[in-house]
Amino acid sequence: MLTAALEGLIDRYGLQGETLGEVAGGAVLKHSRDRDLTRESVLSTRLAAETPAYDVQQACGTGLETTILVANKIALGQIDSGIACGADTTSDAPIALNEDLRETLLEANRERSTVGKLKQLTKVRPGHIVPAIPRNEEPRTGLSMGEHCAIMATEWDIGRKEQDELAVKSHKNLAAAYDRGFFEDLMTPYIGLDRDQNLRPDSNLEKLAKLKPVFGGPEGTMTAANSTPLSDGASTVLLASEEWAKERGLPILAYISEAQTAAVDHVHKREGLLMAPAYAMPRMLDRAGLKLQDFDYYEIHEAFAAQVLCTLKAWEDKEFCAEKLGKSKPLGPIDRKKLNVNGGSLAAAHPFAATGGRIVASLAKQLNEDGKGRGVISICAAAGQGVVAILEAPGGAK
Amino acid sequence: MSKTLDSSPSILALYARAALPMIPGASLLPFVPGGGGEIPDGLDLELTGVIAKAEAVAAYAKVCGFTLRDTLPVTYPHMLAFPLHMAVMSDGSFPFGAVGLVHVENSIVQKRPIGIDEEMTVRVRPTKLQPHPKGKTFSLETEVLVAGEVVWESTSMMLRRGGSNGDAPKQEKSFESLPADAPASAEWKLPGDLGRRYAGVSGDRNPIHMHSLTAKPLGFPGAIAHGMWTKARALAQIESKLPDAFEVEVRFRKPILLPARVEFASSNEGEDILFAVRNAKKGTPHLDGRVQPLKATNSKTAPKSGRKKTT
Repeated sequence: MLTAALEGLIDRYGLQGETLGEVAGGAVLKHSRDRDLTRESVLSTRLAAETPAYDVQQACGTGLETTILVANKIALGQIDSGIACGADTTSDAPIALNEDLRETLLEANRERSTVGKLKQLTKVRPGHIVPAIPRNEEPRTGLSMGEHCAIMATEWDIGRKEQDELAVKSHKNLAAAYDRGFFEDLMTPYIGLDRDQNLRPDSNLEKLAKLKPVFGGPEGTMTAANSTPLSDGASTVLLASEEWAKERGLPILAYISEAQTAAVDHVHKREGLLMAPAYAMPRMLDRAGLKLQDFDYYEIHEAFAAQVLCTLKAWEDKEFCAEKLGKSKPLGPIDRKKLNVNGGSLAAAHPFAATGGRIVASLAKQLNEDGKGRGVISICAAAGQGVVAILEAPGGAK
Repeated sequence: MSKTLDSSPSILALYARAALPMIPGASLLPFVPGGGGEIPDGLDLELTGVIAKAEAVAAYAKVCGFTLRDTLPVTYPHMLAFPLHMAVMSDGSFPFGAVGLVHVENSIVQKRPIGIDEEMTVRVRPTKLQPHPKGKTFSLETEVLVAGEVVWESTSMMLRRGGSNGDAPKQEKSFESLPADAPASAEWKLPGDLGRRYAGVSGDRNPIHMHSLTAKPLGFPGAIAHGMWTKARALAQIESKLPDAFEVEVRFRKPILLPARVEFASSNEGEDILFAVRNAKKGTPHLDGRVQPLKATNSKTAPKSGRKKTT
C-alpha cells in the first residue's frame, strides 16, 4: 500500500527516475520480516533506486515526525528533496509465535546435538499454539489507549454530547470536502476504494447517542463513534527546497516553519497518556513568537474526540497552564470553526503512521487554496508522546 | 463465429473433459476432444462483464511476488482468460486433448495498465495448426477490451508433440536472448509446493504441476513450475522498471523441476530489457524473455483510472 501511495505521488509530480535526497517512512504494526519497509517499498517504485530510505516509528506521531525529519534535513541543506510517508495495515496485523514456543524453538536451535534439539522440542505444549496477537496496550500500564483516554475524559470532565458533536462534525466536514472535490488530487485509489471507507456522511447526534460506551465502564462517555477506528492506509508528502521545486516547475503548497515533539510521564507522574501535545504546543509557539489564536486552521488528530476536547480544555485552564506549562496566562480558546475543517481522524479513521501525512498534505493544500494563512497540526501518540508543527501558506500569514 | 459466455466456465469440469482423451478410445465420442486433424473454425469464445476480484488479485500477487497495486499485474488477465483457453481446448471438435500440450512461448502486449475495478471483455481464439520440428503448434490468442478498446493482448504458443516435421521451420519468434554468462541479480528458492500454490490462485491444476505422483505418469521426473508463474515472477522482479505500455515475450525452455533453486538475470541497458531464469547450479536455461516499451502513440491513448492525476 505504501508503494501504491508513493507511485501516486511519483505520477502526480513526474518523479519517475528521480533520485531524491531521502524517503523517510514508517509503520507502527510491522512484522520482523518487514525490515527496511520504506527502502523496499522505494525499490518497488519508479523512483531511482539510488534514493536512500529509512524507517521511523513513533506510534501515531510517525507520519508527522518523518515530515519534520525530512524538512529539517532540507532546511540544513543536507538534502534538497525528500518524501515523508507512513503506512499501516491494521487489518493484516502481524501475529507472532507464542512467546513460550518461541523461546523453546530458540533453545532447540542453540543445542548442537540432534538429541539435544529433540529434547528441547519435547517441551512444546499444546497451549503454545495460541499466538501472540498485537494489542493496543501500553506496556507499562497494561491499559489500552482508549482506557487511558477515558481516564483523561473523567479528569477533564468531558461530556458524551460534546464528544458526539465533534464526531458528527468530523464526518460532515470530510464528506463536504469529498463532495467539493478537495481530495481529487490528493487521493490515490487503491484496490477499488477511492475514498475513506469509514466515512459516514449521514452520521447524526441521535444515532450516536444510542451507542453503548466502549471505554470507561458502563458510565463511560467514549463510544465506537467518538473513538477513532484503526484502519489501513498510506500517505506520502513531497518536501523540497524552493529551488528544487522551482527547477521542476512544481507548485509550492506550503512551508513548514516550526515543529516540536514532547513527552509526558504517564507512568509515574500519572499524566494523561495523550496529553503530550498540550506541552509541545506552548514550547513551539514561544519559539515562533505566536499565540494559539494566530492560526487560520487547527488540525488536531482525533485519536478520540475526548483527546481533542481534553487538549483544548487544558489550554484554556488557568491552573494547568500555570502549574504544568509554567504560563502566567492560559493559552486560551480557539475558534472551533477552524478546527479540522476538512474532516479528521474520527471520519477518515486512523491508519497509525499514515495519519500525519494525510494531515500535512490536506492542510498544505488548504493553505495553498487560500493563498495566505497559517495552520497548526497537533498529533498525540502512544507512550505519552506528542508532535506539533506549523505550516504557512506561500503568501505568508494573513 | 464466436460464442459469448455469460459466466466463466468451471475449470474442474473442463479438466475432466480435457483428460478424457487419455483414455484409449474415448476420443471417438463426439463430446471428447481428439481425432487429430485441423483446428476447426467457430471455437472463438468471448466472456463479457469480467471484473477482477480484489482478493484473488491479492493472492495472485503474493504468490508471484508482485506489489498489490490499484492496477492488475501485467500477467493477471491470463488468469481471467485461462478458463476460456481450457474451454476451447476441451471442445468436442478440438483435434486433441489439452493434457500433454507444451506451452512453448507467450507474448503479452499491455497497451495501458488495467485498473483493478475496470470491467473487461475477454476474447480467446485458437489459430490453425503449424508444422514444427517436434510436432505441430497452434496459438491461443487472447484480447482484453475495456469499453470496446483493446488494452491487453496475449499469444500463447502450444506444442503438440508427435509426428515428424523435422524440416519444418521453427515457429518461435526470434528475439535475442540474454547472453548465458550475464551475471545473475537474484536467486529464488522455489518450494516443492509452488505448483499447488500457483494452482490455487490461477486455477491451472494441470497434474504435471501438482505433485511428483501426478507428474510422473505424464513423463516428468517430478512436479514442474508453471511457465506463466515463472514469467510472472520474472516480471515482478523488474516491476519498477516496466513502462505503462510494453510488450513482453518469453520462450519457455527447460521445465523447472520443483523444489528448485533458480537465478534471475536481466540486462539494464537501453530501452529493451532482456531477462532470463536459469538453474542456479547448472545454468540450464528455463526461460528467456524480452520487454520492449511500446511507442508513445499507444500509451497516450490510455486514460488511466485514477493513477494519473495532475495537480
